[in-house]
Amino acid sequence: MSISNISRRNFLKTAGVATGGLVIGVALPMNALAAKGIMKDSGEELNAFIQIDDNGDTIIYCGRCEMGQGISTALPSAVADEMEADWARVTVKQGDGDEKYGPQATGGSASIRVMFQPMREAGATAKAMLIAAAAKVWKTSPDNCFAESHFVINKTNNQKLGYGELASIAANMPVPEKPTLKNKADFKYIGKELPRHDQDEVVVGKRIYGVDTKLPGLKYAAIVHCPVLGGALKSLDKADALKMKGVSDVIEIPRFNIPFGSIGGVAVVANNSWTAQQAVKQLKIEWDLGENASYDTKEYKQQLVKNVEKPATLASERGDLNKAFGEAKHKMSATYTGGHLSHAPMEPNASVVWVQKDSCEVWASTQSPADIQKVLGQYLKREPKDIVVHVAMAGGAFGRKFKCDYVHEAAVISQETGAPIQLIWTREEDMRTGYYHSINAQHIEASMDENGNVTGWLHRAAFPSISTLFDPSLVRTPANSLGDVTNHLFGVENMRVESGDAKAHTRIGWYRAVYAIFYGFAFGTFADELAYKAGKDHLSFVNQLFDNNKNKDQQAQIKRAKNILAIAADKSGWDKRQNLPKGQGIGLAVHYSFQSFVAMAVHVEVKGDEINVLNVDCVIDCGQVLNLDGATAQMEGAVVMGMSLALSTEVTFRGGAVVNSNFHDYPVMRISDMPNVRVHIPDSDESPTGLGEPGVAPFAPALSNAVFAASGKRYRDLPFKPLSV
Amino acid sequence: MKQSIIINGKDHVIDVDGNMPLLWFLRDHLEFTGTKFGCGSGLCGACTVHVDGQAIRSCVIPVSSLVGKKITTIEGLSENGDHPLQKAWLNNNVPQCGYCQAGQIMNAASLLAVNASPSEEEIDTAMQGNICRCGTYQRIKKAIVEAADTLSKEV
Repeated sequence: MSISNISRRNFLKTAGVATGGLVIGVALPMNALAAKGIMKDSGEELNAFIQIDDNGDTIIYCGRCEMGQGISTALPSAVADEMEADWARVTVKQGDGDEKYGPQATGGSASIRVMFQPMREAGATAKAMLIAAAAKVWKTSPDNCFAESHFVINKTNNQKLGYGELASIAANMPVPEKPTLKNKADFKYIGKELPRHDQDEVVVGKRIYGVDTKLPGLKYAAIVHCPVLGGALKSLDKADALKMKGVSDVIEIPRFNIPFGSIGGVAVVANNSWTAQQAVKQLKIEWDLGENASYDTKEYKQQLVKNVEKPATLASERGDLNKAFGEAKHKMSATYTGGHLSHAPMEPNASVVWVQKDSCEVWASTQSPADIQKVLGQYLKREPKDIVVHVAMAGGAFGRKFKCDYVHEAAVISQETGAPIQLIWTREEDMRTGYYHSINAQHIEASMDENGNVTGWLHRAAFPSISTLFDPSLVRTPANSLGDVTNHLFGVENMRVESGDAKAHTRIGWYRAVYAIFYGFAFGTFADELAYKAGKDHLSFVNQLFDNNKNKDQQAQIKRAKNILAIAADKSGWDKRQNLPKGQGIGLAVHYSFQSFVAMAVHVEVKGDEINVLNVDCVIDCGQVLNLDGATAQMEGAVVMGMSLALSTEVTFRGGAVVNSNFHDYPVMRISDMPNVRVHIPDSDESPTGLGEPGVAPFAPALSNAVFAASGKRYRDLPFKPLSV
Repeated sequence: MKQSIIINGKDHVIDVDGNMPLLWFLRDHLEFTGTKFGCGSGLCGACTVHVDGQAIRSCVIPVSSLVGKKITTIEGLSENGDHPLQKAWLNNNVPQCGYCQAGQIMNAASLLAVNASPSEEEIDTAMQGNICRCGTYQRIKKAIVEAADTLSKEV
């Protein structure tokens, strides 16, 4: 049964299903999204769906992609809360790639920020229609009814009607003009500690990930990629591979030169993944490596340092920096660097694609089904909407699975062979064929007056930009990518921001926290170096830096940043740090990114070259929290990822190709490295903001500051303890 | 007579190339997908199963070397998903993406089978080979301690 009496465009929209019951969607006014700068104003309607069956079973669809960040629990719980659904009666389902769910590209820590309000409205709308249905049955006024835990209750006589009984009647009720949302005090699920909806399946091995898709007639593929960006196949001898039992095809995949297309490679198709992987090793391939064949990250990093230690291209300027520098009481400069990073989710890139004459169906771990539709549509010369994308649970993603080169490759193989193809990359291919976090260098020079006020700040950054994916001709990061430097909350009247040359020689991509990783590191560490120079402690020095910001538009943000930094300091015992044993120290850092504020206090013990992280106090202000336990878990995970990149992970290129291959030479954090992480989340009535990424940024600077406090040794290069590969 | 192995109490004939690692025999041949592929080199622990009760990395063990052995995978760890570790995992909301957790649980089960009340250091040592990229280590430790506690009360 469907609701068909809706004519108001751009507000509420409904859709019918074959079975009885209430199905409801909610649309976001596009101009509201455009106003928030989230999407272009294209006039499209956006929907999210609730389905209540006649027996009361309720399905809530999550349109955003799940990769472990908990969004498929958080957003549906907001719907359930507003509709007074009993969470035990709710099943969460992942929506396929479909614009009716609104923007599904899951990145930028934006899911809750974008979808919280519309999902609440979807729930509230359903509740209003269920109440209206009950009122009709009882011939009373809706005001005389209320909803509670999957029932509507008659205030006069306490009669109850279940949501299942009401669903098909509710489907014919008018859709409320403006559904009333609950007050915070009445929330049952929002802001509480709700377990993940799918963890029962996880612990028994029944949760299906992209890598687990099985279809009748499925064939298995493995691939080896061209090791250098821009290279191409020169010669291929596939005879030995084809001789292997179980091998059916060897497929050449030329580079598809669009942002998320294949880098180019050779795939083997077999009757199982292992045989395909073994056969790949039997291929005799010569590559023409092309113009990036001399890429060497050790040399490149040195070049970046040179490029930021000399005048570069102006990105923004305010005040009079030369005057400030001329009148300085103290001057200080430092250069910070960082290497490429590989996302290395535990589930390597994997998908199943079946291209047939009249259809193309995809099952993939992905962060962006729409990009799969776009890329495959372009490759197959079909309409994006004709590419059916089933969004699978991703076994980690961290930005990697936003880019669908691996899905494109499976589509090529399926088209060539006519079979449904499961392509699983080996760990080695995953490590060597990434979209890497930018290698980077930043040089800061600052002046201070006699009171330790920062009077001038020159900030030069050089890193190959993500924008090079879309415009490979870029030779340096565009000024607009340096906005987070220009608009940093530290109060500096005279500032100049410059962009150093940094041509890309590999594919650069979003990695959890993106540029906040190195901006946070440079700002947070340099502030500590300045404080030391000025003879002040980090906390009072940074507070003074914030207080010197007179920009009216940033006062609310500064208040929040100072607040969480104070909490981090307080929880860590910052005031009593002088009492710590010799060789121990506490470092602080605070960073604003993805519209959220995160402060960390890292407590370390340093013995010679050994850095032992003991405790981390992590404080986040991300506005209203949807799932307190989920938010806590995100912060714990962010500390671990921050710690990996601060201490040990780095992707090295030599001869244009990645040298690292697996977890032995890309040493991510293991359990024995785990510090005691304490997460503190102050209650907030502000709108919800980013959560998945912002926690990563402040760890590395807080660690650098802690090690300095403990030992006097200053680390300015990420990672601090690179493995020689 | 064809050789076979016992997986979660059932006999399975080895009718694949004997060099195939157990992982792919499970995943592609029997379609038991609970055991995960992470690295293919025994470096990450995502593929951990039990051979006669002992945790091994199924990605590097040829299936032919396991003739007649008893294999337990995550699907067979307990009758109803109620192993104390599975309950403790739920109680502590351990999983984020969850991909590594089958391997983590299987490895922890093997630890508790030989050491009913491991110290924090012993947990670290035993679980060192299991990577979680989401960073759930703190909760994994807590859950293992909790499960050990439950087990000690059962005896």
